Amino acid sequence: MKINVVRNVLDASDALAAANRRRMDQAGVLCINILSAPGSGKTTLLEESLPLLGEGVTAAVLVGDLQTTRDAERLSVAAGQVVQINTGSGCHLSPSQVAEGLDALDLAGLDYLFIENVGNMVCPAAFDLGEHLRAVLLSVPEGDDKVAKYPTLFQKADVILLTKIDLAGLLGYRFERVAEDLAQINTAAPVIRVSSTTGQGLDQWVNWLGRQRGVRK
Amino acid sequence: MHEMSIASELLRTVLAVAAEHGAARVEEVEVQAGAMKLIVPEALELAWSVLAAGTPAEGARLKLTEVPIEAECRPCGRRFVAAVDGFACPGCGQADVEIVAGDGIILTSVVCRGPDQAEGP
Repeated sequence: MKINVVRNVLDASDALAAANRRRMDQAGVLCINILSAPGSGKTTLLEESLPLLGEGVTAAVLVGDLQTTRDAERLSVAAGQVVQINTGSGCHLSPSQVAEGLDALDLAGLDYLFIENVGNMVCPAAFDLGEHLRAVLLSVPEGDDKVAKYPTLFQKADVILLTKIDLAGLLGYRFERVAEDLAQINTAAPVIRVSSTTGQGLDQWVNWLGRQRGVRK
Repeated sequence: MHEMSIASELLRTVLAVAAEHGAARVEEVEVQAGAMKLIVPEALELAWSVLAAGTPAEGARLKLTEVPIEAECRPCGRRFVAAVDGFACPGCGQADVEIVAGDGIILTSVVCRGPDQAEGP
């Protein structure tokens, strides 16, 4: 017999993500899912920018990696609370892993939760974790042609950070090529050029975060 | 390889449908995959065959159809068919869209065989 149905296969996953979002809404936490390739500077960006969030502003980080607690150890200096999630062979964080991470955090009085997703430009883009906003990083050494190569990642971005821009001159980086590709993919997300080494642009990123928090309050 | 996660959710959904209809075996499954999900069919088929082994869906055929992306322009409201690498509105030129179709994984049919097959639709 043939049974005709219409079932969203990701219903359970999406329901978990929605529950995560409700939980953070109730606690007044703004959640940013950070996505990029490995090595684009997600951890360093957080290390350098969390201390700039301002007096009394609190942030936690859920950090996903296949293995090691290295990122959590690094981030524990800058973030009030850090939870490392090891995905084993998993190429992206799932909403259930984020739910477990939320269990391990004290959400009361928390302003921001950053989810540092597993470094990967394809798989994490396909799963809602319950975040409010997505930040996508693209580092200069990765090349100026990646927006068009991984369009769905950039299409779903609420903000795009071009990182390691202190290397742009050295590598002959063409910012206009990124802009041309984004014209076809995403013209709504602001593009912020940052260098965690020189500190350039970190104020713009922190200001953007502050505005998003203001909008949701 | 997010196909493994998707195959796992698919299997759970398929087995639930089969159980609701009292089926003993699943022979074929039809799935519509939104183009936004970037599914590699071979990867999904491999993940499916591995995960389905030892369940009532072992050996079930997977029929996969890709669903094109439909977008709605936020600035001007126009609806259009987008490509995975092209979201610029043909009306106003902005690439600021809500994805209204082609971003899901939908199970559309399950072909089963079971002890109470006669009761089936």
